[in-house]
Amino acid sequence: MTTLALRGIIKRYPGVTALDSVDLTLEGGQVHALLGENGAGKSTLLKVLAGATAPDDGTITLDGAPVTFAAPRDALELGITVIYQEFSLVPALSAAANVMLGMEPTRFGLLDAAAERARAAAALTALGAGFDPATPVAQLAVAERQLAELARALVRDARVIALDEPTAALSHRETEALFARVRALRERGIAVVLVTHRLEEVRALADTVTVLRDGRRIWTGVVADATDATIIHHMVGRAVEMERLAAARAPGEPALVVAGLTRDRAFRDIAFAVRRGEIVALAGLVGAGRTEVARCLAGADRSTAGTMTLQGEPYAPRSPAEAIRRGVFYLPEERKTQGLVLGMSVQENVTLATLARFCRAGVVRASAEREAAQAQVNALELRPPDLARAAGTLSGGNQQKVVLAKALLAGPDVLIVDEPTRGVDVGAKSEIHRRLRSLADAGKAVLVISSELPEVLALADRIVVLCEGRVRGELDGRTAGAQDVLALALPGSAAA
Amino acid sequence: MNARVLLSRYGVPMVLALLVVAASIGVPGFFTRANFTTILLHVSINAILAVGLTYVIITAGIDLSVGSLVGLCGVLAAATLTDAAVVRTLGPAGAAVAATFVGLGVGALLGFVNGTLVASLRVAPFIVTLATMTVGRGAARLFTGGLPIGFPDAGDPDYAGKVAALDALHLLGGGRLPLPGLPSGFPVPALVMLALIAAGAFVLSRTRFGRYVYAVGGNEEASRLSGIPVQRILLGVYVISGACAGLAAVLLVGQLRSGGPDTGTMYELNAIAAAVIGGTSLFGGVGSAWGALTGALLIGVLNNALDLLGVQSFWQEIAKGVIILLAVLFDVFMKSGRAVGGRR
Repeated sequence: MTTLALRGIIKRYPGVTALDSVDLTLEGGQVHALLGENGAGKSTLLKVLAGATAPDDGTITLDGAPVTFAAPRDALELGITVIYQEFSLVPALSAAANVMLGMEPTRFGLLDAAAERARAAAALTALGAGFDPATPVAQLAVAERQLAELARALVRDARVIALDEPTAALSHRETEALFARVRALRERGIAVVLVTHRLEEVRALADTVTVLRDGRRIWTGVVADATDATIIHHMVGRAVEMERLAAARAPGEPALVVAGLTRDRAFRDIAFAVRRGEIVALAGLVGAGRTEVARCLAGADRSTAGTMTLQGEPYAPRSPAEAIRRGVFYLPEERKTQGLVLGMSVQENVTLATLARFCRAGVVRASAEREAAQAQVNALELRPPDLARAAGTLSGGNQQKVVLAKALLAGPDVLIVDEPTRGVDVGAKSEIHRRLRSLADAGKAVLVISSELPEVLALADRIVVLCEGRVRGELDGRTAGAQDVLALALPGSAAA
Repeated sequence: MNARVLLSRYGVPMVLALLVVAASIGVPGFFTRANFTTILLHVSINAILAVGLTYVIITAGIDLSVGSLVGLCGVLAAATLTDAAVVRTLGPAGAAVAATFVGLGVGALLGFVNGTLVASLRVAPFIVTLATMTVGRGAARLFTGGLPIGFPDAGDPDYAGKVAALDALHLLGGGRLPLPGLPSGFPVPALVMLALIAAGAFVLSRTRFGRYVYAVGGNEEASRLSGIPVQRILLGVYVISGACAGLAAVLLVGQLRSGGPDTGTMYELNAIAAAVIGGTSLFGGVGSAWGALTGALLIGVLNNALDLLGVQSFWQEIAKGVIILLAVLFDVFMKSGRAVGGRR
């Protein structure tokens, strides 16, 4: 039986250690589940496994012999295949061509289409695929594309197959079918790695489970011997606590009330309220529907059902412009692609949403604009406080301050911040936290979306936990612990 | 300010200055006031089209239809100018004004069509304007039967009126303003062009609309989430580009005293070349009206110098191509420096 062993794997990125001395042993004929919060190091570990990134330290041995991967090609040749959530298929090519991609059979230097189709069809049939291998991948359903990826692994005589959240986009029935296939792969003696958030899948499929947290391997155990509570306990651990900022005032009237909000294939029946003077956190795993909900509140997307009420008035924004006029401002999670115009100066970014205020007859009054921007930049302690600097040249924390300054200048009643401190250094992080709290204390309603549990616990007065597009529960932010939030956020956990 | 920033901001003007100095020394007849006004006149049409295109390109779009619009707006303006009823009711001056409005209006209207397709229906600008380019040229040829129109036949009952109308518009397209020190005066189209460049630069750098043009080109999603009316901005830039084409058409009709359906063929490519040489990035978010003028002048000065040297026009095409390539290579070379240097 194959044994792939990773020992003492270390991977550092600038400012962060993504993997800190991680060990992982994969046995042929076994399914090994990899669990952990967002940012725990699962993706990096998969990349190391795939040869897509080189570890800074550590060894990898295959059946006792040390191996190194200079490129994904090396890992593939040794029979190690990683199937990512974003499939690596060419949409315009047929399923057969995709299965055989990189190992096309040739005759006299020309593609041997018949052999290609036959070999691809054999692999697909072995997996129980019901579609024509000549179908372009673009026309295949997600589950079918997954089969094409699996068939590709089989054609290459894979000995290790890693699946990154394979059921994230599958229906219940498709999930069942996939499970059957994974069990069949296990029967063939293949070592399967299953990255997942769902405890029920770990239970249904995995023989062993490894929990990662903050880039470290925390615990490895036999699934049959562990309870859900044990596993969640290992996932949460003793998270580094952030300073909790207490509210200076009691929450007032509801500012934004959401009822039965639904957007097809994103979230259903969402109900919660954010009151003046209050910070509410929308917690949950990536993909739980948090950002999708926020985008509807901000007028960036449309809901398909449900109602929203703003300061007691009906509220159904058709564009971000309308939402901003009504006093709702959304700070998106990706500041580089959605928050900033990187080539523009700090000043131009800060005043982007409020430029009309500094214009007379459509002409910008330069001094008024500069003064307003300077005031915001000073208040947020931007470093350097240089208005002419291009936003793209600032550090992550300062970029986030620029985006925040833009929102604050608009003076919204309801501020929605999506991942306010992602990729932000510790100092800027606490400054942003203090700023959000002082906004709430000034009577604004603040809705925070964060994947970082310590941040949720430090900021929120109330925590609304989403799971798979629904509200799973609501917690009091002053008393809730990380374990309580995670128990609600993990699909299929018995703790809820 | 380091050398890289200086170069990225003033590189093209410096190249232009070098070229002018070199030509002044090496090309007989180049360094005269009369020749400089000739160059300005020759680049007028291209610079007018280029400044309109600059707006579009800053939003990461493209407008291939401007050359065809010059043809279509031109024949419609010429037809209006020499329409018997128009000349009789409005008189020559009134006909010239009406023709100007028709040229500008049709240009803006077709720009509106381009903009609607791009902004509301999200069709790729290249495809939309490729289609309107073809349709526009076909419509212009259909309208005139393929022949230039405008100058009346000898037996035309309104011969005198029509010629007077053509002469009236010629004041705009071919007129010269007396200027001390310039025996033949300063060409009106060059004046119109300089005014348009100045206005275009003002709108881009000093108005809210201009700021939004850069923002939409720099990051459309961030702009939308900041409440900027992205669709209206996109619509606006195509209307501006179309109107500039209409203006160019009116000037050409005035200059030539006729409207030809094939006028403006390939002008879109010259205008794109001027914009790109002038530092406007095809990826959006970067560019300026003065850059469009600089680019047009660079091409114009080069052609003029080669003309005076008696170099074959074929060589001029090759030289222009090389300059475009150098400008783009320069842009690629500067890419890493742009974030520091800002965009203007």
